[in-house]
Amino acid sequence: MILTSLMLLGALPGGDLWAVRVKRAETVAKGPIEHALILVEDGRILAIGEDLPVERGIPVIEREDWVATPGWINCHTRVGFPRGMSSRTFDPQLSPEIEIDPRNDAWKELLELGVTTVGVYPDGTGIPGQAIVLRTRGDTLEEMLVHKPAYLSIHLQANSSSKNMLREAFSKVDEYEEKVAKEREKWEKEQEKKKSKSKSSKKDEDKDKKEEEKKEEEKKEEKKEDTLATQDEKKEEKASDAFVPPEPDEKVKPFLDLRAGTLEAMVSLSKAADYLHLLDVLEHEEKVHFSVEFPLRNDIDFYEVAPKIGEKKLLVVTQPETTLQPNSIRERNIPAELARAGAKLVLVPRDDSVEGHEEWRTDVGRLIGQGLSREAALAAVTLEAARVLDLGERLGSLEEGKQADIVFWSGDPFEPSTRVEAVMLEGRFVYGEVK
Amino acid sequence: MARTLETPLKLLSALLALAATVARIAAQDETPPAEGQQEEGAGEEGKKDDDEEHAKYFAIVGGDVVPGIGGILRDVTILARNGKITEIGHDVFVPEGAETLDAHGLRVYPGLVALGASGRITTGNLAAEGPEEDGGVAEPEEEIRFDALLPVPILAHPKEETAEETPDLQAEEGGDEMKSEIEDTFDPFSSQLVLALATGITSVQQQSAAVKLKRYEIEGVLLGDRHISTLTWSVNNPSNIRSLREKFERASSYLRDVRAWKDRGNKDEKEPSKRGVDATALRVLQGESLAYFRNGAREDLLGIARFAQEYGFRPVIEGCDEGWTVADELGRAGAFAVLIPRRRDPKDERFTRPGGASIENAAKLHAAGVQVAVRPENTGIDTIGIAGRDVLHMPVEAGFAVRGGLSEAAALEAMTLVPARILGVDHRIGSLEVGKDLDAIVTDGDLLHYRTFVQYTVVDGKLVYDKEKELYFAHIRPRPKKPEEPAPAAAEEPKAEEEKAEEPPADEKKDEAKDEESGGDDEKKDEPPKDDEG
Repeated sequence: MILTSLMLLGALPGGDLWAVRVKRAETVAKGPIEHALILVEDGRILAIGEDLPVERGIPVIEREDWVATPGWINCHTRVGFPRGMSSRTFDPQLSPEIEIDPRNDAWKELLELGVTTVGVYPDGTGIPGQAIVLRTRGDTLEEMLVHKPAYLSIHLQANSSSKNMLREAFSKVDEYEEKVAKEREKWEKEQEKKKSKSKSSKKDEDKDKKEEEKKEEEKKEEKKEDTLATQDEKKEEKASDAFVPPEPDEKVKPFLDLRAGTLEAMVSLSKAADYLHLLDVLEHEEKVHFSVEFPLRNDIDFYEVAPKIGEKKLLVVTQPETTLQPNSIRERNIPAELARAGAKLVLVPRDDSVEGHEEWRTDVGRLIGQGLSREAALAAVTLEAARVLDLGERLGSLEEGKQADIVFWSGDPFEPSTRVEAVMLEGRFVYGEVK
Repeated sequence: MARTLETPLKLLSALLALAATVARIAAQDETPPAEGQQEEGAGEEGKKDDDEEHAKYFAIVGGDVVPGIGGILRDVTILARNGKITEIGHDVFVPEGAETLDAHGLRVYPGLVALGASGRITTGNLAAEGPEEDGGVAEPEEEIRFDALLPVPILAHPKEETAEETPDLQAEEGGDEMKSEIEDTFDPFSSQLVLALATGITSVQQQSAAVKLKRYEIEGVLLGDRHISTLTWSVNNPSNIRSLREKFERASSYLRDVRAWKDRGNKDEKEPSKRGVDATALRVLQGESLAYFRNGAREDLLGIARFAQEYGFRPVIEGCDEGWTVADELGRAGAFAVLIPRRRDPKDERFTRPGGASIENAAKLHAAGVQVAVRPENTGIDTIGIAGRDVLHMPVEAGFAVRGGLSEAAALEAMTLVPARILGVDHRIGSLEVGKDLDAIVTDGDLLHYRTFVQYTVVDGKLVYDKEKELYFAHIRPRPKKPEEPAPAAAEEPKAEEEKAEEPPADEKKDEAKDEESGGDDEKKDEPPKDDEG
């Protein structure tokens, strides 16, 4: 199949089509491929496979000593951003966009360390806002911005005020939905009245129909903005001209989106019990998708809820570190325990700084030595991280059709002596000398 | 009507039982909703609707059960269904699939109830620091200060300070909105919680709430709330006493008015106004909460006892150090005393009358009819050192009261049933009786003996602590070896790995136990719960 596609490719007019041959490609999604050839066109991976024959005329960069991995993704960072605001706020509508400084050196340094995509979370605790996704290259905000919002950041602790903040947010959504339902009822009654009138004068029926159709189209356009729009509503509204639901409050809308499944949440926790309290708050919100994030430190007891998290196959963001069991000197590899339990592990640097990103891969390597599977570790810094950012379809693995964000290493990326040889971002080499 | 329906249903289910897959559905349909004992345990598994089929049974088999209401039942089985005790007896049928705990050669007691325990037990030491933190607010964590010049530690927070903080509490108790937030703060993984379970504590007081120490889950931890209304009384502050009297006077006259109004039954007449009536006093007089005092001096105790008799409520007095000098008066008032047996309180030398703390305090109060509860001096719990971590040794604390003459049965009640009554949750916990929650501890000897360790702790019919499996005390005097012939019910009991079995004193301990039982036999009441089950 690949061959046929290649043949086709050959037939296509050249332009931006070329290939890289490496010693090994860690595809993440489909395991490692030895002597892999990666074919790239227009910023995307066109094909990848072992010893693929290449049509004549396609330039091939031969690097038989390199190892290729997808670009690394840190989905939960504030490198290059001010941070340290600890006040508890309820600003779910905010985003750290305005804080971006594209000239910050940190971006370039991250890129040279093989980090191609970052998810930047809003500062503060409580519900401080929505995260955004950036590529680590660009001169302006627009050039850097990949996608927003990535996820709604929620900090949840085991106390009433924290839990109530979330409960109230959802009760506001209930209120809004009630309001919408009432308005619709009102509107429907009006429509019925109109109908009965129009029926009495049956002459213009055909005209009416046409008008209806037109209005429906208009309505559909409006619907694009309205996340609440369900199919039922559409059916109901087919009767006549558009029902326009009232605009939700900007602080209510993110939770409306959560409920509708168009936005995901990342919940920051600080101990195992917080997770149970999170489930308690979300007891009746089955549709809300969320990932959890927690800092690893000694005395953390997160292993207690590992089976529960694993059962749900949740995305879990944490650091590559082993910790001590409370009141003991027993070492526990919580990331490995979570991965074994079935959770989708995402690892971010232990220290959220440029230096932390330098140590990131060796820390992950150490964790592999302490019991984490290599596959889970690789996915934890690429594919699963992309999933946290809602970009799992586009980034995170070396597969056909995915964006060509590739890091070329001098060897195994988890070995301390390995260097980054080159970084490709969206099909272009942005770091490293490639001739 | 129901009966006529039942028979065809039974027939139907019998027929369907042939096809195993269909039978399940049928069973679900015919489940009578009035089964009654739907508990958290069963509710958890949403898909398992069938109450009977999926009811969780737990049995403690073959232990010497001290039910906490007098007496001892030898070699009996306690069976619980969905966390509630259904049977206690010799020939209890243990259903197939029931989880069993072999207690042969061991003793079974009701779980202890710790009054005034540190908030860290329920919120954990990882609890975020902040104003929301529930734990440890009412009780300062480090109460004891060590002074180089004094031979014993002294209280860092003298009694006067409690008087200062009380107005707040009083206001809290009065308002209806002041509810315990424990359900939002409970940490079922707290290491202090595990330590409390290791001590044998299965429920704790947190401010005015009674909290069950559930492990691994946060549902159903709040047993009862707002059953305590803290009041202040001090002979040194007559104006405070006067205002308290006024409040109670107004509340009782209000209650009289309401009763009279009801008796008249005149529809046109307005209900007496509640305005200006103190909510706390009203709650106390209506029996919704207990008036809780922190007093130790004889004059105060006398004042409280007479005040309580005057208005007809039962006071709870924490401290009660000189209570032994006015025991009869306190007994007449039907008082509860929350004692700290080790407390040191010097006699006031200005008076010739008896005074000061006495080791006989608990015994004398109990003899006079006062319901005695025991709490430790300090509310902390930890494995670091002993002093200041008193909650870890509650039974030893009660042991001091026994040393002063209190009967062992009363000492057990002082840690179980009486505190449960004070917290208003004695219908759920505090003793091992049919219908109550199965919160039990299994020990390797008499609970009040200093050598005794809690081997297992069971909360709501679930094993939540096993000494051999936790880090804390597994290495100290490993579990005594079981008797040779295993009981048939305990055959599948999984604790076969008895590597550390070279421990000899099983016999020795039995002897001790026998001695203590004979001592406690005086207190033996009627043969308890076995008859109650019907």
